[in-house]
Amino acid sequence: MTTATAPDDPHRTTGDGSGTAGAGVAAGPFGALREQLTDAAATFAGSADALAGILAGIVDDVDRALGERLEIFPVCHHSPASALAMVRRLRHKQPKVIYLELCEDLQPLLGELRNCRLPVAVQAFASELDGFPAEWGPLSVVAPVTEASAEYQAIAYALETPGVELVLVDRSTDHVFQWSPRDDAGPAGATGPTDDAGPTDGTGPAAVTASTGGAGEQAALHGDAVGVEIGDLRPRFAELEAYLLHHGKVRHWSEWWDQYVERPLAGADHDTYRQVMVLIGSLFRRLRPAGSDRTERDEDRERYMWTRMREHLAASGADPADCLYVCGAFHAASRVAQFGLDSPAPDFAITPRTGTRWRYGLIPSSHSAIEAQFGLAPGSVSIAAATWTKAVSGSGLTPFRLDGQRGGKGRGRRKVAAVAAPTGPMADRLSGFLAAPPPLDGLDEAELRGWCVDIVRLARRNGYLASTADAIAVFETSILLAGLRNRARPTPYDFADAAVTCIEKDVVPGRRDVRRLCEILLGGDRIGQVGYDALPPLARDVLDRLQPLGLDLEKRTIGRALLDLHATPALTGCSDLLWMLRHLLPADAVRPIMGERRLGHRSIQESWDLALGRHQRALIELGYEGVTVEQVLEQRLRRAVRGTDATAAGALAAVEDAIRLLNSPRLVDELGARAVELLATERTVDDAPEVLRRIRRLLAHHRATAPALPAWCEAFVTTGYAHYCTLLPTAFVEEETGVRQVGAMLGFLFSMESLALSLGCDRSQLELAVAQSHPESPAKVALLWAARHQLGLLPLAELRERCAELLANPLVVPAFPRYLSGFVHALEPVPGLAPFVVETMSTAFARLPDPVLLPWLPTLITTLREHGPELVPLLVREAARTFPGTLPELDAWVPPWLAPAPTPTPSAVRVGPVGQVHTLLAAHPAAVEAVAALLGCDGGWSTPQATPAGPSESALVAAHPDTVEAVAALLGGG
Amino acid sequence: MSEMLRAPAEVKYADELDYLESVDTGPKPFSWRLSPRMVRLFVLGSERADGLEREIPQKWFGDRSFVERSIVTLASDRGLLLIGDPGTGKSWLAELLSAAICRNSTLVVQGTAGTTEDHIKYSWNVSMVIAKGQSRESMIPSPIMTAMEQGVVGRFEELTRSTSDVQDALISILSEKYVSIPELNDDNIVFAQPGFSIIATANSRDRGVNDLSSALKRRFNFVRIPVVTNKRSEAEIVRFRTEELLRRHRIELDVPPTLLDILLQSFADLRAAAASATSDDEKLESALSTAEQIGVLEDAILHSQFFGDRTLRVETLAGSLMGSLARRNPEDLAILNKYLHGVVEPRAKQNGEGWAGFLDGGRQAIASLS
Ligand SMILES: Nc1ncnc2c1ncn2[C@@H]1O[C@H](COP(=O)(O)OP(=O)(O)O)[C@@H](O)[C@H]1O
Ligand SMILES: [Mg+2]
Repeated sequence: MTTATAPDDPHRTTGDGSGTAGAGVAAGPFGALREQLTDAAATFAGSADALAGILAGIVDDVDRALGERLEIFPVCHHSPASALAMVRRLRHKQPKVIYLELCEDLQPLLGELRNCRLPVAVQAFASELDGFPAEWGPLSVVAPVTEASAEYQAIAYALETPGVELVLVDRSTDHVFQWSPRDDAGPAGATGPTDDAGPTDGTGPAAVTASTGGAGEQAALHGDAVGVEIGDLRPRFAELEAYLLHHGKVRHWSEWWDQYVERPLAGADHDTYRQVMVLIGSLFRRLRPAGSDRTERDEDRERYMWTRMREHLAASGADPADCLYVCGAFHAASRVAQFGLDSPAPDFAITPRTGTRWRYGLIPSSHSAIEAQFGLAPGSVSIAAATWTKAVSGSGLTPFRLDGQRGGKGRGRRKVAAVAAPTGPMADRLSGFLAAPPPLDGLDEAELRGWCVDIVRLARRNGYLASTADAIAVFETSILLAGLRNRARPTPYDFADAAVTCIEKDVVPGRRDVRRLCEILLGGDRIGQVGYDALPPLARDVLDRLQPLGLDLEKRTIGRALLDLHATPALTGCSDLLWMLRHLLPADAVRPIMGERRLGHRSIQESWDLALGRHQRALIELGYEGVTVEQVLEQRLRRAVRGTDATAAGALAAVEDAIRLLNSPRLVDELGARAVELLATERTVDDAPEVLRRIRRLLAHHRATAPALPAWCEAFVTTGYAHYCTLLPTAFVEEETGVRQVGAMLGFLFSMESLALSLGCDRSQLELAVAQSHPESPAKVALLWAARHQLGLLPLAELRERCAELLANPLVVPAFPRYLSGFVHALEPVPGLAPFVVETMSTAFARLPDPVLLPWLPTLITTLREHGPELVPLLVREAARTFPGTLPELDAWVPPWLAPAPTPTPSAVRVGPVGQVHTLLAAHPAAVEAVAALLGCDGGWSTPQATPAGPSESALVAAHPDTVEAVAALLGGG
Repeated sequence: MSEMLRAPAEVKYADELDYLESVDTGPKPFSWRLSPRMVRLFVLGSERADGLEREIPQKWFGDRSFVERSIVTLASDRGLLLIGDPGTGKSWLAELLSAAICRNSTLVVQGTAGTTEDHIKYSWNVSMVIAKGQSRESMIPSPIMTAMEQGVVGRFEELTRSTSDVQDALISILSEKYVSIPELNDDNIVFAQPGFSIIATANSRDRGVNDLSSALKRRFNFVRIPVVTNKRSEAEIVRFRTEELLRRHRIELDVPPTLLDILLQSFADLRAAAASATSDDEKLESALSTAEQIGVLEDAILHSQFFGDRTLRVETLAGSLMGSLARRNPEDLAILNKYLHGVVEPRAKQNGEGWAGFLDGGRQAIASLS
């Protein structure tokens, strides 16, 4: 059990000397907070001396921060109390200059906030790195901005009030990464997903109860950017947070903050507010682990900020009394030498930025994305937003708001007279902290009752069997829970717990559980949107060009677009753009429902599901890469073939995309030429099947669309021929090279042969390569036999004989399935072998004795399935042709290989087209022979003089007209 | 009373409860003996900030909101159903709560397929009925009926194992809050006194045995107790229960911390293995709960005490672990064997401390089991 090392007097705290914080402080609105903090300090200080040191130090820190000539305004993120105090202060003081803790290079973007619906995040993005390890890229930093925040109040005040200057003083995004440790995977790995949030190691306070119910999409809005936030105020190590949660009897950090700081602070005056915030900041600072990277970074940032402020004051001549420095409470308690305008310490040496080109923009954010990024409990940002709305209406204050800001309620910007805040004497620093009347916290009864009714209704709509009785039970339970937890009135957290207790049963009937429903009820996730004017040029261009579709693409819903390109050819441009976006954006952003665009094929009608509004971030980030979609696509394709891990198959894919999507012969040639280079230097043949599939497709496309093959295609074929010939003998023996790969190599060599030879390749190269191949594994041996058969070196009869020998040899029989698998792969380069493979299999079934055959069958099937799934259909088709289809037929059936060679009767054959075809065939006998062999037709070549079209040829041609036509096209005849 | 084999919580912690009652100034619902806050404090232990003169140790380990939600449920007019995997401490929590609230945790009905309506209402003392006829004297009230009469908490263990007849009877008790006795002519209704409530437990692993009707579900608030996966809390539970056990058996024995670590680690390993198993054959039959862990340690302690040299050795622990987890031969044995070979052996080579002994002990146990 954790027992605190008891100090002699836990209550002898920050008040020493002033006498205001003696015993009995547990009263007052901050009593509980004080107790929490002093207990924590006592526990983690280690000894009574250290504790005394810490407590004295805290008083010092508070004095220093509050006594500084340049007024420091400590804030905390997602704290409505902080935002409210800010409004009060701004109205009262009306500062002329505001210094804000935010990356200085983000400044130009802030004006764009008015074009957006909050929450959005300000983003800096870089994909071309200079001065950072290449593997870090792309770099991305986001700083989310919500309406219920002190910083938004400061920004809105500064931008909307004439004559007020807003100066961002924190290090630039470039420095965020300059200061990242360089050892491992990248900046994200080194600093975690956030630069500023609390303990992010997995072992941290595990009190955050994950809620089911997929908020996943909204939570992922920030992608994997590094998050920065103003006003981080959270314990810097897991144990301290765990301690506070445990002793505060709350479940997670947001709840702790809400109960011990937020509510008591709601009505506090300026001085009390500042004291409390600095006090917390100071304690967390003093209890943080020493000497960590993070501590150093924090301090460098403070030096940086003070240096920037001094520079600005010197340059602008502003009066410090008119300035306000807004920073996290943590930084308000800073001890760095540069702290304070009167510090004699030299300025901090600010390193120049690297050459990395940063691009800036706004991306949509959401409450859940912020919660996920900064490790806050689900729903806590929404609850803060709801509290803010309520506090604003209760306080009679008018918050600041950027002109034209969308969303929320369009509150009028009526000027309110500055609230005169009493400026209490400094010396009495902690009396306000103790003596203010207990605030009215928690919910009104009426509000709570409303929620209880609503949650039941919501639950019913989500499949729960909830009734009015449940509403009453939730109400009662909320109050009981609040009482048990020492709260005057239930908080939203109590309400949520009560609702879960009373409504949740053993199973969640729908998609959302009760806890998630409570989050929705208490304000729900709010998702921001970046307005058109704040979008980068590319995104605006996309929206403009898709205008003809007549959809509101900025909406977050899915829109269905129907394109009838026949009726409205003008939509072709939209279609082209959509196909490009399809390639560049996440799959759900633009999804074709009907229609496709393959090589040489375009649909006349297309229908699309468009969700660009929901994927705004992806579109915006695309905008960082270029000005038009075409430009980005071109760059991406180029990058794909230039990278260190580029492959020939990948380059062919890029070529295909370039043809499909861009219609730029110049780019196609460039990419194709690169594919040839890549192929020539490839040392493995792993990709051979892919290469074969793609080049076949590209050749067919070019032949169909252009009179001559492009130069790169020819080069690819000749290079490939030589390349695969060279690698063939090794591929045959190397164990790592699969049968499929060797099969594909042979496929390339045989099917491209005539083209390669016509382009000057030498057939002896292939013959030599085959002769040099001496495979050992049965599958490859079979493949080699098939290759030799194809080359005419091994007649079918001999092949048959060899198989028979294998089957007869009991020692080899167990390996027979692997021979078969080799034959199956041979169907790729030598499709004519299909009947033979069927025959071999049948023979095996017939000849093998059951004890050998039966255990053998599963192996056969798994071997087939594993090694040649795409070839099995070919085999099945052939088998269907060979074996009888009905039972009676079976009785009379003789396998074709046992039957005497059939003598075709001319009368039985339909005579196919002769004239032209015949002339052609006669002129190129080699091709016909090859085709005949390929198709398993060995009727022999009859003299053309005797019979114009030999019966077997014409039968063949009639049966397979496509092939002949293709051959004709190939040879340029017809 | 202290000579009971296993004293109920209200007896075991009578001192503490007396003390808490004496300092409790908070408002108490119904006839509760302690205020809700004190109940929580009794179950979860005291903090220094609670300002008590006496330290109250934590007795149930887990998220405090589970305990809070349970307590407020009992103060409302709904029953409490604790649901979760076996060995997550549901029954223990139920016992603690009823001990704290009404000093009586023994009004328990055990749900089985054979539980009948009589078990939750009343039955008759046959010889007395023959002698005197049916009357309130010859009636034997069930624990639930007793709880109603006294206005205290009745417990129902393994609610889902009982048949739907029994569940239906429970619905009427929970909604009407009385039981009528049609066999009697007068004095034939037993009304529930204020403070009456029911804590039921249900095992989520055998859900569906007798699925609860929605009418019954409505009358219960469900509190789901998850398996403890946090090693630190688990260590605390195991340590807590072991100390108690040692006290109970009056055993002077030290449980070295490294040994506890080894126990926790081995369970964590085996759970991870179970989580990644693809079929039931690759999974130990045991649920690997905290309770099971306690069982292993208990067995090892008793073994060392009565058959060993009164020091707890890691070899003994390994033997107990294998013995309690190997339920199916050969599947479980194969899994454990694989574990010893694949995980423990490399670890023993690397950092001998303890694990080498664990390996030896485990091997011996497996050899003798198979
Ligand atoms: N969270 C816990 N806190 C304290 N003891 C626990 C906890 N979980 C399990 N145990 C121990 O395990 C034993 C078995 O738990 P039990 O209450 O019978 O489990 P269940 O009823 O959930 O199956 C208990 O006696 C208790 O000692
Ligand atoms: Mg139980």
